[in-house]
Amino acid sequence: MKKFLALLLSMLMVLSLAACGGDEGDSQPADDPKPADTQQPADSGSEPAGDKTIKVGLICIGDENDQGYTYNFIRGKEAATEALAAKGITVDWVVKWNIGEDSGCEDANIELADDGCDLIINNSFGFEPFMLKVAPDYPEIEFIACTNQASWGDNLENTHNAFANIYEGRYLAGIVAGMKLQQMIDEGTISADQAVIGYVGAFSFAEVISGFTSYFLGARSVCPSVTMKVQFVGSWSDATEEANAASALADMGCVMISQHSDNTTPATTAQSKGVFHTGYNNDMISVAPEASLIGTRINWAPYFEYAIESVVNGESFDQDWCHGMDMDAVVMTDLNEAIAAPGTAEKLAEVEAKLRSGELQVFDTSTFTIEGKALESAFALDTDGDFTPDSEEAVFDGAFHESYFQSAPYFALSIDGIEWLNSAF
Amino acid sequence: MNHEKKIPLIRLAKRDGMEGWKVWCIRCGSILFALVLGALVMGLAGANPVTAYGAMISGALGKKSAIRQTVKIAVPLLGCALAIAPCFKMRFWNIGAEGQITAGAIAASYFALFWVNRLPSPVLLLVMGLAGALAGGLWALIPAFFKAKWNTNETLFTLMMNYIVIGVVRWLQGGPWEGRKGSQIIPQFDSAACLPRVLGVHCGWIIVLGLVVFMHIYMNHTKHGYEIAVIGDSVNTARYAGMNVGRVMMRTMFLSGAISGIVGFIVASGANNTLYDGVAGGVGFTSITVAWLSQLNAFAMVGISGLLAVLSKGAETLQTRMAVPTSISDIITGILLFCMLGCEFFINYKLIFRGAGRKEARHG
Repeated sequence: MKKFLALLLSMLMVLSLAACGGDEGDSQPADDPKPADTQQPADSGSEPAGDKTIKVGLICIGDENDQGYTYNFIRGKEAATEALAAKGITVDWVVKWNIGEDSGCEDANIELADDGCDLIINNSFGFEPFMLKVAPDYPEIEFIACTNQASWGDNLENTHNAFANIYEGRYLAGIVAGMKLQQMIDEGTISADQAVIGYVGAFSFAEVISGFTSYFLGARSVCPSVTMKVQFVGSWSDATEEANAASALADMGCVMISQHSDNTTPATTAQSKGVFHTGYNNDMISVAPEASLIGTRINWAPYFEYAIESVVNGESFDQDWCHGMDMDAVVMTDLNEAIAAPGTAEKLAEVEAKLRSGELQVFDTSTFTIEGKALESAFALDTDGDFTPDSEEAVFDGAFHESYFQSAPYFALSIDGIEWLNSAF
Repeated sequence: MNHEKKIPLIRLAKRDGMEGWKVWCIRCGSILFALVLGALVMGLAGANPVTAYGAMISGALGKKSAIRQTVKIAVPLLGCALAIAPCFKMRFWNIGAEGQITAGAIAASYFALFWVNRLPSPVLLLVMGLAGALAGGLWALIPAFFKAKWNTNETLFTLMMNYIVIGVVRWLQGGPWEGRKGSQIIPQFDSAACLPRVLGVHCGWIIVLGLVVFMHIYMNHTKHGYEIAVIGDSVNTARYAGMNVGRVMMRTMFLSGAISGIVGFIVASGANNTLYDGVAGGVGFTSITVAWLSQLNAFAMVGISGLLAVLSKGAETLQTRMAVPTSISDIITGILLFCMLGCEFFINYKLIFRGAGRKEARHG
């Protein structure tokens, strides 16, 4: 018994020692003066002290290590923070990583709301239904669901959606790809009917379909004989499956690979197969310098800046925001001049100017057919909740108006020239 | 530790039962030890451990809304631990609770999606619950049947059943039950198919508390419970006593699966209001820890699942307030569980060192 007590006491002493030691070691890191609730007195001492401070929550499906989807949001966040600092607005970000599209997302929204955020941004499509369960309880907080679409019809004042006209960037990437293919045809490397693009898509989802269709139209505008095969992988992010799909496409004779999925494996596969590639979300030249021609990505900074500034100033802001190259919400990554066709940069600048001025419409109905016929009518919005668009005519003035009635893409048609290898997803 | 170098041989001996207060001292000591180790980890991550632990506790229990979320996390853990307890008592290693939850959720979701206009809400919820129980039970019955008939390995069998049923959900998500084309998301249930809230949390917590009482009585005061205990101690004894071991096994697994199925119904209808492939979310595995830590005692499970829920919610808060990655909190949770499970070893066994001639109990 005595022995046991002695042991217990000595254990306690060791523990208390360790506890003290632990504390000491920890007071070195910078953030001691952080009693849970104070806003952020010592966050960024070097910046000129802003007149206004705002606390913004950001809920991410992944983390920045994905080098793709979430990483792109973090880039936007950092750029917006910098731009706002110049205007005297200090943004105190609270970021939640690796949140699932389930009730955990609801909890994350509640937690950020309770933590005093004035604005909460949800970065994934599947977050919206859970965000909508929380938003009515916090009418004084603004909620944003990026890439989703309920805000225009949910009867809530404090919910917002945002997207960018990424189809513009896709179209330009398509031009780069098309010029390369045309160059190969002209040089006799391939015959005209061998100009086949392989596209690795996540799911047969409107956002993906809209993306590869605009990409294809861009390519065909400079290389008339081009065709495309699309392989869906059934995941937004599955490095192995994406590589397999790219590899299968290259084996089928595709000489250009592009993708709507999160990883860089289609780029590296293209390089190992000796074909070319254009990327998404991130510059992929560093991983595939001999294959990757260019990439396009959404630049979230202008929207974040706009939304945050509005909240700081107590102004209301768009419930459904969508801009493209006009506000630099869509940007191209660096062109790989070493392998791109000559004259690509000039052509890009020319088309970009036309897109900005509105002279050129990506989904110009004179440039594509569906089952041999020109598109004359297509609805944009689903108002009765059966997931089939039933209102707002999207085809007018000679073009399908993508992202015009709502920010989330709604072009989901299968046009001639693009072959869907599998539509199970 | 340094004893081991000087005296190479350590013998283990079963202890004959320690006094209660000593047992609790060891248990508390192990928790303290885990907290200190955790503090070191937090220190490495650059957070002040005292503030961090404070943030975890206030984040999990500091506010009404925080308590509600913590309870929401604890409900499936508790329910599922109750479900696997009788199997483990019987030494039938059911690690397929994950799949049984999912099977229950699928059946419940079927009625939520397609019967919502045909039944009034209370009846619909009842039907969903029953369907969930039946589906979970049948899913669990398959490995039990094979075990009883051909003595297959239940651990592998139940584990692999998980992947099948999760695959079924993926197919439903992308195929027949998909909402917006290509989205892979099943639409949210109509509010009639969602469990009503009581005190701000979906009423699943009342259901599982009811199950706690049921399971306590079932295990300790019924003939079924007795049979389970005998089989757990010795299958041969059970046979000698004239028990139909195979039948008891199947019956117990059906019950276990049915309770898991109810948990699936609660999660789908109460928490997520939809079905998706992560509906079980690892609960089927975490609850094994809950069941062991509670030593299969139904009332202890309430406390243990509550503790795990506090840790998990606290980890989220830690990330929000102090920018500590949740993986750090996962490490801390892991350390705590390891120490808590590990100390049971030192309660049941003692180490005898050669030459020292004295017994010494070490823990941690």
